[in-house]
Amino acid sequence: MLITAVTPGERTGASALVQTHGLGWSTMDTDQPTIEELEAQAMAEADANVDVATETPEERAARFEREAMPLLDQMYSAALRTTRNPTDAEDLVQETYAKAFAAFHQYRPGTNLKAWMYRILTNSFINSYRKKQRQPLESDAGEVEDYQLARAASHSSQGLRSAEAEALDHLPDSDVTRALASIGEDFRMAVYLADVEGFSYKEIAEIMDTPIGTVMSRLHRGRKQLRELLTDYALERGVISSREEARR
Amino acid sequence: MNQPAEGAGTADCADVILRLFEYVDNETAPVDRERIHAHLEECGRCLAEYERDLLIKALVRRACAGQRAPEALRAQILTRITTTVTVVERGAEPS
Repeated sequence: MLITAVTPGERTGASALVQTHGLGWSTMDTDQPTIEELEAQAMAEADANVDVATETPEERAARFEREAMPLLDQMYSAALRTTRNPTDAEDLVQETYAKAFAAFHQYRPGTNLKAWMYRILTNSFINSYRKKQRQPLESDAGEVEDYQLARAASHSSQGLRSAEAEALDHLPDSDVTRALASIGEDFRMAVYLADVEGFSYKEIAEIMDTPIGTVMSRLHRGRKQLRELLTDYALERGVISSREEARR
Repeated sequence: MNQPAEGAGTADCADVILRLFEYVDNETAPVDRERIHAHLEECGRCLAEYERDLLIKALVRRACAGQRAPEALRAQILTRITTTVTVVERGAEPS
């Protein structure tokens, strides 16, 4: 019996966001919606259909607050993983919201605001922080080599999988974030957008302003590095024995 | 193509391993999806590989979820929105 990670209906991308406006309380048939829920629902529908041209600045500011502020925790989490420290993360989020607010008239109501915000965050990071942080850029070259390695290594290790999987599952979250922080930033962002936010490859390509093939290469290589690091951490912690490691 | 469980190193396994990350992300085209699904039903090793990829995806999500933005940050951004409305009205763009 196979269980897939994400069913199409669960995707948190554009379609899901648009659906949220359309479905709302009608899906919750066990309880009657409260007045507040009904009002929020009506407001979300109005926000998705607003005429940007005739909107006053005050209305637009209020709409931005209603739509963008609920994304703050998510944007901060992403900024924290991207910049790898709380101070830069706060600066990056500030910058992202300032730019998003100033450009909010360009955002098409009813489309995927989160992806739009992510694109601004990603651009801001690349323009402001990447230079500052002076992290060596990971190139996308080596893709072919990776694929060849995957082919060659497809079945070189045997009998260790379930023990390893068990061990990985017991790693603390801090090990996972440490591993994420150790891989190249392009890889890290692609993995974050796919695994944490559940964006589709197409959406990630738009957010990172790169072809889908590059997104796939970054995911493939990023996860491979992540897996190696996590396996190392598991070894250090002794949750995988060196006897098992020797068989790799 | 249903390989027996012991059929290690076949082209089918290599191909499946190569595309497992797409499968994990639910990005595989329907035709390939069925082929990979059928292969995983037959091949224990590829299935283990798949499960490990799924696990790592879940680990990343678990480790990064639930981070809350500092309240001070929220307040700063809100203040900025309410005080810069007139600037936006003049069509100012971020530099």
